[in-house]
Amino acid sequence: MLKKITYTLILSLLTLNSFSQNNSSEIHGNFDLNMQSYQEDELIGAEAADEIILNNAYLNINYTKGDFVAGLRYESYLNALLDFDDNYKGNGIPFRYASYTIDGLEVTVGNYYEQVGSGLIFRSYENKGLGADNAMDGIRLKYSPLKGIYLKTFIGKSRTYFTYAEGIIRGADAEVNLNEALNLESKTKIIIGQGLVSRFQADINPKFKLPQNVAAYSTRLNIINGGWNYSGEYAVKLNDPVGSLTSEGNNYAKGNALMSSLTYSKRGFGIVAEMHRVDHMEFRSERAQEKQYIINYIPTLTKQHTYTLLALYPSATQTEGEFGTQIDVFYKIKKGSLLGGKYGTKLIFNFSRINALNVGSSFLNDNRKHTPMFISIKGEELYYKDINLEVYKKINKKIRATGVIAKQSYNKDVLEGKTPGTYGIVESTIAIADISYKIKKGYTVRIELQELLADGGEGSWSMGLAEYTISPHWFFAVQDMYNWGNHEISKQLHYVNINFGYLKGANRIEIGYGKKRAGIFCVGGVCKEVPSSNGFSLAISSSF
Amino acid sequence: MKNIITLFSLILIITSCDIVEGPYEINTENVTPTDTNTYVKKILIEDFTGHTCQNCPSAARELEAIHSLYGDRIIGMALHVSKSFARPYPISQAPKYQYDFRTKWGKEWDDLFGISEMGLPAGMINRIGYPSEHRLGKDEWLARVITELEKETDFGINISANEGVITVNTEILNNINGDYNLVVCIIESNIINWQKDGSEDVENYEHNHALRALLSNENLSTSSNYTISDEIEKIINYDLASLEQFNIDYSENIAELGNGDAGGWDSSNMSVIAYIYDNTNKEILQVEEAHLLNK
Repeated sequence: MLKKITYTLILSLLTLNSFSQNNSSEIHGNFDLNMQSYQEDELIGAEAADEIILNNAYLNINYTKGDFVAGLRYESYLNALLDFDDNYKGNGIPFRYASYTIDGLEVTVGNYYEQVGSGLIFRSYENKGLGADNAMDGIRLKYSPLKGIYLKTFIGKSRTYFTYAEGIIRGADAEVNLNEALNLESKTKIIIGQGLVSRFQADINPKFKLPQNVAAYSTRLNIINGGWNYSGEYAVKLNDPVGSLTSEGNNYAKGNALMSSLTYSKRGFGIVAEMHRVDHMEFRSERAQEKQYIINYIPTLTKQHTYTLLALYPSATQTEGEFGTQIDVFYKIKKGSLLGGKYGTKLIFNFSRINALNVGSSFLNDNRKHTPMFISIKGEELYYKDINLEVYKKINKKIRATGVIAKQSYNKDVLEGKTPGTYGIVESTIAIADISYKIKKGYTVRIELQELLADGGEGSWSMGLAEYTISPHWFFAVQDMYNWGNHEISKQLHYVNINFGYLKGANRIEIGYGKKRAGIFCVGGVCKEVPSSNGFSLAISSSF
Repeated sequence: MKNIITLFSLILIITSCDIVEGPYEINTENVTPTDTNTYVKKILIEDFTGHTCQNCPSAARELEAIHSLYGDRIIGMALHVSKSFARPYPISQAPKYQYDFRTKWGKEWDDLFGISEMGLPAGMINRIGYPSEHRLGKDEWLARVITELEKETDFGINISANEGVITVNTEILNNINGDYNLVVCIIESNIINWQKDGSEDVENYEHNHALRALLSNENLSTSSNYTISDEIEKIINYDLASLEQFNIDYSENIAELGNGDAGGWDSSNMSVIAYIYDNTNKEILQVEEAHLLNK
């Protein structure tokens, strides 16, 4: 069936193209290839791959002609890289779609990605780094009946690897920009939104009554006035037991999530205060509690660090329950002042803290009912804490420097799903210095020095990186991570990586060799475990 | 157009949620009593587990609940696998988690089917769905069991076990051809030992259906054609003490961070499981269980 639709689509693409003389039509695409060899390294626990080389590749093709768009993605996993799910195996065209817009109505059939609000009740997306792709297959309509009113509705099934989950997902969302809709010329802008998503899955359980249609809804509000911006969203998911045959396995409680953020900014200064509370809010395309079925997204409430040692222990959102607060302050010290110097100095302060809900998340069955307190911080199990300050300074025309200091607390057992009491909380202190020096036009050297001091986890780490860029074509990088503080002397190892890349026009090639440590890789609070590896890598990306 | 979309959204909103009121549990008896006169298709649930895996007992309870609902048609096997979930703790942590439940065959099957590498608990229902959809979370077991219960079988298995000898008699129920293997193994129940259950360390946890030994995994016959009413007999002689010693040696010398604490077998709590699988897709087509001492 899938093949048939794909062929029809390709055929219609070709047919359309042949009629395109009068009307401009375009085909664009991009290609990505990631190849890695795997050699055994007993010291770091890296395993050899039976295939020696593993390879992931993707090609996207999009055809546009006026208001018509169609496209597909070819995916190839021969076999999937070791940090990918084994279920990505073989080749296929799992993504194909066609869409057109006429008189304000947009019709999409086939695969699509969609999000309701900030994703609390629904988000289908793909992230190749995470190996996550829950694309929908079905129909989506978007329509704007009046100025300032945006409606969308969709129905479909959600992708799991090369197939689709059993549940049928229906959704609708309305967003109203009051200023646009009512022609208000007020300084205050107000946008409100309401979304609803529902999953159908037949009840086959002989022992427990299960809801066949499970709904989740959310209401959101955004108010903007000058430098102020408030945005909030509240979501509820109705009873969604997993369909176990045991009473304790079926939780009939409602779930809910609240996120709230207040921003103030003016020239040279900004502050963001945020909180979120999540309670039993994982929403899936099937009842079963497996990560490949997740169709909602709760943004993490911690800073997304890019420096390696700052991101060594990252926070993952606990969709079953957490309470968090975060504050960000941005300040630019003026040019010409004592601390500002000739170019000014930027300071970015960030604090975040996440803890468990009181006595766990909501629970309801025939024997037990529990609803956690709305706000409870003191005495609750700490999941994550991060306090950090980043200073950025342009020293002169040739030298720029960034420094970061941070203190982090990381609940390794909870955030990595380990047995409670195995590792406890890893406390770390981190310092980063990043200096780049422009030798002459087009030639830049950048040095990163990083230090992480910790007793728990794998102990202390040092890292150094040197990068040499000859723009616009070449870059070379050497990096060493050294786990000098590991409590096991045999694991006090160096992880050296060498990379170089060549860029020309739309093509980019990068070749690397090195060792990677086993760890946690996260994007926006969604994390996966990455095994250690040792070998060569080749990455090619290209677009047209 | 506006009206159509508004209408559609309204219908969606009105019809899209069911709120179930308690009591949630429906009174059920054993829903499919086994007909003892003829052969029925039975189902093997392979539960991959570990004594320090905090969510694994919930999978074991799910297996027991499925078993108590469908009775003899459900046969369970617990395979303790992986370093992270099933290795014994160092002696410094004694008496907690000192026993090594792992076996050579559990590891081989875990590697072949790629179960623990993606986290535990997880399992297989008759190994249906191999190679891409066979690994199931515990919440997915029931639906697959219900589908399997609907199927007919081409094989009837009879096990007779006496001390040191097991006889497995396979009766062919239809004219078929294919490439089949017969597997015979031993499991043990009522083993009282430590288990992590949620955040609790349970000292007297009852471990059931734990795989102890694989006795045979060979072609069902030399031919690929089977005729209705054919009977194939397989006789296996075994020595329990040397099988036990094999596991002790495996734990001591081969298993990652093993300690050799894998003995203390009790034959009065042991069963034989025999199953037939299709070599082309690994699917288990029939399975039977009998007490090791012919109780």
